[in-house]
Amino acid sequence: MKQFNSGPSISTYNKLSHWFDFSDPGTLKVYSGKIDIGQHISSTLALITSKITEIKYDQIEIIKLSTDISPNEGITASSLSVANSGSAIKAASIALKINFLNYALESLKIKNEDILFENGVIKDKNSNKTISYWDFAKTDDFRKIIIPENFDENSLKKINYENNQKIELKTINDIVTGKYKYVHDINFPKMLHARIVRPPSYHCKLIKINEDFKKRLVENDITLFVKGSFVAILSQDEFLVTKFLEIAKKNIFWEEKRQLSNENVFNSLEKHEKETLLVKSGGEAFYEEIPEKKSFDDPKIKSLSTSFKKSYLMHGPIGPSASCAIYKDKKFTIFSHSQSIFALKYSISKYFDIDPNLVTLKFMPGSGCYGHNGADDVAFEVSVIAKEYPDRHILLKWTREDEHSWEPYGSASLNKVFGAINDDGEVIYWSNEAYSDTYLSRPSDIELTNFTSYKFLTNNFTKTKSKPKTSAHMGIHRNLDPIYNFKETRLVKNLVHDLPLRTSALRTLGAFANVTASESFLNDLASIKNIDPFDIRINHLDDERAIDVLNNLKEKMEIFKPKDDSFRGIAFSRYKNSAAYCAVGVELNVTDDLEIKLNHAWITVDAGEIAYEDGIKAQVEGGFIQAASWALYEEVIFDSKEIISKDWDSYKIIGFDNIPVFTTSVIDQKGSSYLGVGEVVAGPTGAAISNALCNALGQRIKILPFTKDNITKELLN
Amino acid sequence: MSKVDCELNINGLSKKINIHNDKPLIYVIRDDFKLTGTKLGCGLEQCGSCAVIIDGEKKLSCNLLAIECEKKEIVTVEGLQIDSELNQVQEAFRKFNAAQCGFCTSGIIISITALFDKNKKPSSQEIQNALDGHLCRCGSHSVVLKAIDSLIEN
Repeated sequence: MKQFNSGPSISTYNKLSHWFDFSDPGTLKVYSGKIDIGQHISSTLALITSKITEIKYDQIEIIKLSTDISPNEGITASSLSVANSGSAIKAASIALKINFLNYALESLKIKNEDILFENGVIKDKNSNKTISYWDFAKTDDFRKIIIPENFDENSLKKINYENNQKIELKTINDIVTGKYKYVHDINFPKMLHARIVRPPSYHCKLIKINEDFKKRLVENDITLFVKGSFVAILSQDEFLVTKFLEIAKKNIFWEEKRQLSNENVFNSLEKHEKETLLVKSGGEAFYEEIPEKKSFDDPKIKSLSTSFKKSYLMHGPIGPSASCAIYKDKKFTIFSHSQSIFALKYSISKYFDIDPNLVTLKFMPGSGCYGHNGADDVAFEVSVIAKEYPDRHILLKWTREDEHSWEPYGSASLNKVFGAINDDGEVIYWSNEAYSDTYLSRPSDIELTNFTSYKFLTNNFTKTKSKPKTSAHMGIHRNLDPIYNFKETRLVKNLVHDLPLRTSALRTLGAFANVTASESFLNDLASIKNIDPFDIRINHLDDERAIDVLNNLKEKMEIFKPKDDSFRGIAFSRYKNSAAYCAVGVELNVTDDLEIKLNHAWITVDAGEIAYEDGIKAQVEGGFIQAASWALYEEVIFDSKEIISKDWDSYKIIGFDNIPVFTTSVIDQKGSSYLGVGEVVAGPTGAAISNALCNALGQRIKILPFTKDNITKELLN
Repeated sequence: MSKVDCELNINGLSKKINIHNDKPLIYVIRDDFKLTGTKLGCGLEQCGSCAVIIDGEKKLSCNLLAIECEKKEIVTVEGLQIDSELNQVQEAFRKFNAAQCGFCTSGIIISITALFDKNKKPSSQEIQNALDGHLCRCGSHSVVLKAIDSLIEN
């Protein structure tokens, strides 16, 4: 360990009390600004703390995020949970350990070799006198400690830890016994259950509610809430409210202000008004003139162009979004599984035009999804309802149809790729033009229209335009800049306006489409010159860690003999060109009926220092499975009136019947920064499947998902 | 909107309740018995998260009328433990940390428990059949399959 950077959170929260609470003897409570979304961040953070402080893992409790007590570490997204919160807590742990050791040695007047250190207690071998972290936490010395932004080699010498520890997840016992509580399971006395009565699509104004229906609601003690075109029904009886939701749909009438466009979305991506930015090496986007695409006349240079298309994808958590809120004494308390807990606090206070300190958001687990699903919308909606019925908890749950039809999807996208390779196998020119809607419409106090119900509450159905983000690897241009040292690149980001469906952040943002397109196209260029897929990549890389990951993958794949009639493909990416490295290999079969069966998946990942190895494996295997599902099955279907994909029959996702055998390898870079692994695998997975399929069919399929219909169309073309 | 008296036995506890005659079993489990381990994912019998065991058979509870379950033994995930000990399926899932968000997990544990209660050495096809209709969005499948495989090896 040469040097350790404490990460961005420490610049704001640099005292030990921001992270640690020793008020309960024998227990260390740890605060974090990140939430558990299935990645088990709380277990990983407890393990990091335990490794450094030598307090037992079981003695450490991670406090659920609450905006009144937790550090604001931004959104739980972008594979930054361990990179941010893990680094901060590791830094706090190092500062604590070093200062505690010094304090104990001085207080007990002993030397380092005279101590026994167990479960957070230091004992003098000679006198049996003890001193604990809990004693130390009561001192002024503890309160005065400022956590450094960097630790140098000397200060790290006292910190030794074993990095390959097996743990039981903090939550697992409650999960397997059904005791783990989600927002959906909240139950307060006299709580009202709410459901929203939705119109058929995004742009509908409320016209009329049948009077007879209103009477029936009163007779059944059900409350009707109407504000603008936002309609909800409430009852203490959850079943009754779900039953009346179906009746409500037939008794509430809407005027459609605007239809969804059912023009082919890939045509829309090319034709519609757009903002076009130049992406430069390093991944930032600029409002600059886009250079003309080059052409090559030299017969020794071979060029190729292709377009890759990806359909709209949904987050599709298994449990629809939910939130519970109470408005009491002019203050809101809101329970939410949003990944943007702090942004929600400020957005909701902005909507009500109140001091943000009057809004407290408390994290409660929800169903996993990895991205911006309905969680934020439902929290906003329940706060609107709770304001009207003070002093009572309101639990609002979205239905399956709500979640499928109203969540902000991952955008459909188009990548137009052009490249040239010379006789020496060098890629001398690489152009990639990405076309997509926004991936960035999470809650924001300056864009309340990001809440889907805002337009219904205000009856304002005017079109809004997203603004392109220009920071490195943000949104559409994430991983558009290839990591390889190609001689010349031309990278273009197109934020396309007036597309039919609502979109926002889905795991990896633009990286899934960009990496799938780039890593497929690189194979196509390599095949012109008969260059091995590993070689074309390694030949264009300087980064030793990237090369090690690819070599490791190659070794692991060679151990296994291919199954009969199977085909393999590989791909590689470094997430945002600055986070984790990941190489993926896939072996698959294609049935006579053009069904793709996944046999084996190899994943090699370098995510810096291993924080929790089994956690990394679970994340990358889970990420592979989700990305394989996108690549093989997923596509949001809609027409001019409504979303057609309202349930799991009309939006197929991967099942247990197509899960490959996994060989997953994690390269430990002990002492280096945590890089985060939640998203790195998705792009290479899409591309590795695409490359294996190309080998199987002898032809590149350029539209996702790789369904029988899409494959057939491409083969006929 | 008529209500009826009904007596249900869930996890060995019998309770008389007065419910709407079209109330699905899952609402009775969660509202009337306060057992929230059984999850409502779709209400359409498409995702498997509402699975329970009724008279030894796995059933989806989201569309099943509660009144049709009288005089039957209903077991939810909370009722799988024997003398406070995890059953073998729960124990395997615990040992392998076989869950991510966990929303789908109780339904899967129920299905696999129902399978192993009948057949200690199920074939891989029988395991696949038991898992058919269980959806997971986090991608916990690979670890779940390892946990199930460990049951056969043991």
